[in-house]
Amino acid sequence: MGDSILTYNGGCVLAMAGKNCVAIAADRRFGVQQTTIGTDTTRIFKINDRLMLGLTGLRTDVITLYHRFVQRLNLYRLREEREIKPASFSNMVASTLYSRRFAPYFVEPVVAGLTEKGEPYLCAQDLLGAPLFAQDFVVSGTCAESLYGTSETFWKPDLSPAELFEVTSQSLLAAVDRDCLSGWGAVVHIITLDGIETKFLKARMD
Amino acid sequence: MIKLDVFQPTFGLDKEEENVVVPKEELYCSTPLAPSLRWNVLSNNAPKDLTKFHHGTTTLSFVFSEGIVAAVDSRASMGQYIGSGSVKKVIEINKYLLGTMAGGAADCTFWERYLGMRCRLFELKNKERISVAAASKILCNTVYQYKGMGLSMGTMIMGWDKKGPHIYYVDSEGTRLKGQKFSVGSGSTHALGVLDQGYQWNMSVEEACELGRRSIYHATHRDAFSGGYINVYYIGPDGWKFISHEDSGFDKHYQYATEKATQQQQQMSIS
Amino acid sequence: MDSVIALVGKDFVLSAADTANARSVIVMKDDVDKILELDSHKTLAMGGEPGDFVQFTEYIQKNLHLYEFQTGLQLSTHAVANFIRGELARLIREAPVLTNLLLGGYDSVSGPSLYYIDYLGTLEKLDYTAQGYASFFILGTLDRYYQKDITLDEGIELMKRCIHQLSKRFVINQKNFIFKVVDKDGVRQINFE
Repeated sequence: MGDSILTYNGGCVLAMAGKNCVAIAADRRFGVQQTTIGTDTTRIFKINDRLMLGLTGLRTDVITLYHRFVQRLNLYRLREEREIKPASFSNMVASTLYSRRFAPYFVEPVVAGLTEKGEPYLCAQDLLGAPLFAQDFVVSGTCAESLYGTSETFWKPDLSPAELFEVTSQSLLAAVDRDCLSGWGAVVHIITLDGIETKFLKARMD
Repeated sequence: MIKLDVFQPTFGLDKEEENVVVPKEELYCSTPLAPSLRWNVLSNNAPKDLTKFHHGTTTLSFVFSEGIVAAVDSRASMGQYIGSGSVKKVIEINKYLLGTMAGGAADCTFWERYLGMRCRLFELKNKERISVAAASKILCNTVYQYKGMGLSMGTMIMGWDKKGPHIYYVDSEGTRLKGQKFSVGSGSTHALGVLDQGYQWNMSVEEACELGRRSIYHATHRDAFSGGYINVYYIGPDGWKFISHEDSGFDKHYQYATEKATQQQQQMSIS
Repeated sequence: MDSVIALVGKDFVLSAADTANARSVIVMKDDVDKILELDSHKTLAMGGEPGDFVQFTEYIQKNLHLYEFQTGLQLSTHAVANFIRGELARLIREAPVLTNLLLGGYDSVSGPSLYYIDYLGTLEKLDYTAQGYASFFILGTLDRYYQKDITLDEGIELMKRCIHQLSKRFVINQKNFIFKVVDKDGVRQINFE
């Protein structure tokens, strides 16, 4: 218990694809091994109006990496005078992680967004930046196995934003209730071409 | 050849199987026999493996003017995975005796069931109920024989006998303590933070049950390995009574949160 | 072994820390001030490895002073929290310093705020919290009795309750605690009992 650095603080992220929409959801716990310290933690960050980044793992590295991405994105915007595409951002994440190949950041990122054509884009990576692309859903965090199970059961192709919200919420809540180190509230972001809608879920607090 | 027992003192059963003295009572009731040295040679960490199925737990009990209250959570965890959210952690030994479970689930269930049998045998032999002190001593002595062999249990044996209400804390290290107020498990420190501060000798049964319930709730909130339902028992002169079974993480949390918010509003309007 | 507690009230942050400096089984000094006044409106309560936290918090304090001299600006509590965690996050991969901190501050714009910072560089904004072994014993008590927007008197009562609980259940008997409050008038020490 708590022997791995990746499970020291707990937490999980799930991202799912719908029809011209993407959902990304996370729990809100911040803990130190078995003790829950905070219950309103942010681990999903907005990159632009069609792109979000979820980071699970060691909290200090989550914060450090978020700050690094903000910096790199600002430089990117200055140089390119446009918003970054999901695929380019995934590469930015991957290269940042691999740049610390021999003293890694202990995080598992999830990139979720919409491409220029409005198609869903999902990418999960391991702590060294190896990308994993999926058409349906990607997961990361302390209850990844449970998330695969629930997502596999609830997900189907071409979900509308409202349906996607429901499927994502139920998948996350069900998985989180089987994990000691995740939960204590949840947040779901639905990304559509119209923008991002954020909803907080009423969840179990134990 | 270097023998392992040179480095690892074992249980005095290392020579020949014939010499193993099996306690007589254990022949009748099929309690597990002490593993021989061979066990250790075959798998050096075998007794350690047995303790892997640990409960993250919060259990508590206390004596007050009207009797005893016992409150427990219901989460069973296997590592960080929640194996079950609805485990019964209060074991009903007989009409007057309760035991709580913390540590290894199998160890607690088995030995408290065994204690139930021993208490019944005592009753048949002596034509009177066993005292809480004697019952807890039986359990303590039994598990002490297995000390160092991987048993894992932290339990409270409580009940009402001739001399009134009593609680004994018994664990697999061989500790046996009589006391007024105990809490056992990974969430016990959080529970005590609420129990100690809210405890009074004179309380109604309802107040005492609510104190126990609240203490468990706060422990389930802060301790990752505690959660699920809160089971509350009350022990009076007529034996134990099951009081309540309520959802801790959802129903109780939002009930208490609402109560706190309204209380705060009232205070604001006063000042 | 250090016990550090802090909570945010209506218009203040109250911090408490034990005052013992222990070396193995010996108490070397029993009136150590583990709540540093970072600047006029910020307190930094600390625990961890004795040498580390004194060195580190002084380094932070001097850098803040330098920044103030150079720019004439005083950083917000939020900014200081991020500066501290950045330094700790850098140091954890270079030469770890075992320091757990609770940063309390009062800003004229945003009011009182409390930040939890641990030796890894973790940062979390909270209403009330504790660090060290103390957290196991009093987080339950704090959850039970803490209310949003409490007054200073209520805050002190709650703090006393926590310390009472700690003395009741914690094997290590920490006799003395120091209390500091930061509000719009700045930092001041509170004495009672």
